[in-house]
Amino acid sequence: MNVSPVNTPLGIDRRRLLQLGGALAAATSLAACSGTGSAGTGGAGDKDKASITVWSWLEPAKALKAMVPEFRKKHPGIKVTVQDIGNPAIWDKITTGMAAGGEGLADVLHIGVDYLPGYAEKFPDGLADLGGLGATKYRGAFAPGLWRTVSPDGKRVNALPWEANSAGFWYRADLFEKAGVDAGALATWDDAIEAGKKIKAKTGIRLIGIDKPASQADAANFFQMLLQLQGTFYFNADGDITLDSPEAVRAMKIIKRMNDAGLVSDFSGGWNTMVRSLKKSTVAVHPSPTWFGGVIEREVPQQKGKWRVQLPPAVRPGGSRSATVNSTHLAVAGSSPHQAAAWSFVEYVLTRPASQAKIYRSAAIAPALMEAYDDAAFHQPSAYFGGQKRGEVFLKALKAPSPAFNYSADYARALKVVTDAQTKVLLKGADPADVLGDAADQLGKQTGRKIVR
Amino acid sequence: MSAVLHKAPAATAPARAARARRSRPRGRLAPYLFILPALVLFAAFKLYPIGWSFVLSLHKSVGGTDTFVGADNYRRLIDDPLFWTALKNTAVVLAVQVPVMLALATGLAVALNSTLLHGRSVFRLGFFLPMVTGLVAYGIVFSVLLHQEYGLVNWFLELLGSDGIPWLTDPLWAKISIGLALTWHYTGYNAVILLARLQTVPKELYDAAAVDGAGPWHTFRHVTLPGLRPALLLTTVLSTIGTLQLFDEPYVLTKGGPDNATLTIGVYLYQTAFKYFDFGYASAIAYALAVLIGILGLIQFRVLGDKS
Repeated sequence: MNVSPVNTPLGIDRRRLLQLGGALAAATSLAACSGTGSAGTGGAGDKDKASITVWSWLEPAKALKAMVPEFRKKHPGIKVTVQDIGNPAIWDKITTGMAAGGEGLADVLHIGVDYLPGYAEKFPDGLADLGGLGATKYRGAFAPGLWRTVSPDGKRVNALPWEANSAGFWYRADLFEKAGVDAGALATWDDAIEAGKKIKAKTGIRLIGIDKPASQADAANFFQMLLQLQGTFYFNADGDITLDSPEAVRAMKIIKRMNDAGLVSDFSGGWNTMVRSLKKSTVAVHPSPTWFGGVIEREVPQQKGKWRVQLPPAVRPGGSRSATVNSTHLAVAGSSPHQAAAWSFVEYVLTRPASQAKIYRSAAIAPALMEAYDDAAFHQPSAYFGGQKRGEVFLKALKAPSPAFNYSADYARALKVVTDAQTKVLLKGADPADVLGDAADQLGKQTGRKIVR
Repeated sequence: MSAVLHKAPAATAPARAARARRSRPRGRLAPYLFILPALVLFAAFKLYPIGWSFVLSLHKSVGGTDTFVGADNYRRLIDDPLFWTALKNTAVVLAVQVPVMLALATGLAVALNSTLLHGRSVFRLGFFLPMVTGLVAYGIVFSVLLHQEYGLVNWFLELLGSDGIPWLTDPLWAKISIGLALTWHYTGYNAVILLARLQTVPKELYDAAAVDGAGPWHTFRHVTLPGLRPALLLTTVLSTIGTLQLFDEPYVLTKGGPDNATLTIGVYLYQTAFKYFDFGYASAIAYALAVLIGILGLIQFRVLGDKS
């Protein structure tokens, strides 16, 4: 029949070779979607008259959209379109845009601390230097440690900080009470493990959840927080690898002990699983940062009054209980022809306390802008959290000195070897020191960075 | 042309010959003009990336500037445990899933060709439909079905009194899940290719076999299978290429995990380029993959192809 692809011996070969060739072409062309062209093709443009686009995701995108009408009252000539690209889709979209020399990028980009150094290093002209547009005067306005994140060399300013998330310990007060555990008395994570055992025995509910097979890139959030509480990270300030430091091994051992005691629920599947777990009450604690409060309130309104928050226990007795675990930033694309107008919008949203207070009220996004915390919004008791002033809990953490964690341009690679190591510990019972040593070796080989031991 | 003909209705033979000579180059040009659009598109979107990715594969990006490093990226490939893990995983799928799927497809093709089967077109459509489903959409459906705690499959297993299976969270089961998803998706497609070929096998051969006293098994072994040979070669080569480029299923279902148990070359290539921004190394991976596909394809042509 004519569907059959083969008729004569000669026809067979030619057609199949063509198919083969097509497949080869498909295989090789994927990697070629990159360019090295300069992305700094944009310019300042007309400061008062422009049409700009902003890329963000979910709640922050909604919050940005809500800022547009009042911004336009002050800058009637600037039209602003906010697009919700979604997270993690936004990273792929920015990466391909940058790789294409800035083609198709929005004017304003919302970028997480985990991606900012990578973009800045791999695409030197991908982001506009905000220093030249007037950002330098805000040097002291943000939470400690964050200026180094946006301006590593102290001159070029790649972005301006928006949210600053501190490590948190969101817990179900009703379950703690049922098990007879006093959350306020938990000084270290060892105490927390003991408490977890009691809660499990009394209520059958596990202590925390981790994405054990690392189905999502952020599966090592808890491990990373335990490192940050000790003031260390995957890289030191010089960019050397510190993945198997004593602090890192200690953190992984805590996770292993929790898992061996049956206190860790599997959050494989990422966000959706986590939300389902909230609804079904399968864990008693979410060791998540500031922004998580907004998620709880939104996803499980029926659990009103059951949740409380405090700063996480220390890793070692007397150790620090606060760390700025991550932050997000607004940057202006180097390819944007309307950089001055884009900067006006960034400046309006990020440097005015009133803007940040408004965003906090609607979306519970904690600002990096310290002055914003003078607003009453951060000092009001929250009915959902049993009258707790949760804004003040995190403000205390934010004011504490926090080292600037060096995410480096190789954070994604580090995260990959870390989550693989964690998976080995959680699913195969591997030894923390062994797997972290291997992970450090592998990362060193991939990146050519020195390993500090 | 026609205008010329009207003016000189009684053209002499030499004049006609001269006209033919003149028009010949134009006649040769026409086919090229017709394929020009396709050629331009092919050059812009296939040839250029292929060439450029080779150039890229010889470079390394440090601090935003590309430096020429020769074969360094290829040397790094040989020394990269993750690349070998990806190759090994791919080889397992090739050795296990592809033969199982093609055997299923062959059986299915024979069944769908049988005159004993009522409503054949409905069944054919049913088995082909998975092929039309978007890769990502079916990946997400599978991830929902196979979720260890909230998935439908485990819910059903638990109803039957058995423990849930860690479909996507255990290294071995994750491989099996990927294999299941692939089989569900591509068996019908391959069956349709085989079915088409099956219908060209002359009925006389079956009659002759029956006269010679061949039973169903011998008929299948000595008439159907040889008849299917070219189509089997095609499906084998296509499945091999598809497997080597495997990306969507592991990307959606497992992201290559747990602990790289389902990491394929496609997923590793993607991570290297778009997560680690290491386009030079990613291009080297792509070229290694292309060479591999070429070699395997040639071997399959030699082994399964027409001997004539």
